[in-house]
Amino acid sequence: MIAMTSNPMIESYFAALVTQLSDLPQTKRDDVVRELRAHVFDRLEQVTVPTDDDCRTVLKAMGTPEEIARQYRLELLLNRSAWRISPWRMLRTLFRWTLTGIQGYIVFVLALMGYTLGASFYITALLKPFFPHNVGVFISEQGLNIARFPDPPPGAELLGIYYVPVAVFVGFLFTLGTTLAIRFVVRHFGKLKQKVGGMAAAA
Amino acid sequence: MALLRKDPKSEPTEKWEAQLRKGCLELAILACLWDQRLYGLEILRGLEQNSNLVLAEGTVYPILARLKEDGLLQSEWVEADAGHPRKYYWLTAPGRQKVVSMAQFWNSFAANLNSLLKPVLNGKGRS
Repeated sequence: MIAMTSNPMIESYFAALVTQLSDLPQTKRDDVVRELRAHVFDRLEQVTVPTDDDCRTVLKAMGTPEEIARQYRLELLLNRSAWRISPWRMLRTLFRWTLTGIQGYIVFVLALMGYTLGASFYITALLKPFFPHNVGVFISEQGLNIARFPDPPPGAELLGIYYVPVAVFVGFLFTLGTTLAIRFVVRHFGKLKQKVGGMAAAA
Repeated sequence: MALLRKDPKSEPTEKWEAQLRKGCLELAILACLWDQRLYGLEILRGLEQNSNLVLAEGTVYPILARLKEDGLLQSEWVEADAGHPRKYYWLTAPGRQKVVSMAQFWNSFAANLNSLLKPVLNGKGRS
């Protein structure tokens, strides 16, 4: 930890930054905060006795914690390969967005639906070996059925034990598709937000 | 809010400038590190001296983090006389290749654009 000047303004700035970066892994977040603290410390070192005004100037030049956290989110979270992003982490990030407005809320609900659909295919794949007559692809006049308990769905089952790899594959497609869709939307909203921010700054 | 602006036509230009700056920032950061190891603030100083690319200082760090994630940079905490450690960055081999190819692209791109812009800047041709 850096022996930092205990200016309350600086402390509250970094407290806000830590909160904003809560969706980064702990080690990465600590590293980011340590690096930005070193930056602030170096900047303040240029003046012999930093006043509140000096701190304010240095923090202002830095950008707001929200802006910095948003940049980290855009640069790190979105540039990671899809398979390295866990649905859990994605949903946690999105959940924070729900607090910022209706758009974030809608995206969160859609993402939750996508992941739930993916997860239910995985679950049926697990159930198939134990309940071969209840789980599968059943076609009848009523349409398509995947699973029903305790009575089996109507119609003939098409895939047999091949349902397991097919369901795993479809589940994976839903999970991946949801992740890619979220990344697309988040990126799009990121730009929108930037635009709004830029307009507010210019006005 | 838009009505308060003196020159409404200046907004698209500002946006274009901001996008151009943002697009060039990555190349500028990599170029700063061409022959030296630097920490964040030194990179910023290099950028301040040679360009007006940076708007908010804090936004350089997320870019550095991503360049590291992409394998173009490597970093290390180094204890300094200042009393606190600093995180130094340097180019990896892929980073060096990347900055060379980016610089080459930039060179031919700028040359082509400059030749297009010549008549505009000279104010010749159409009156």
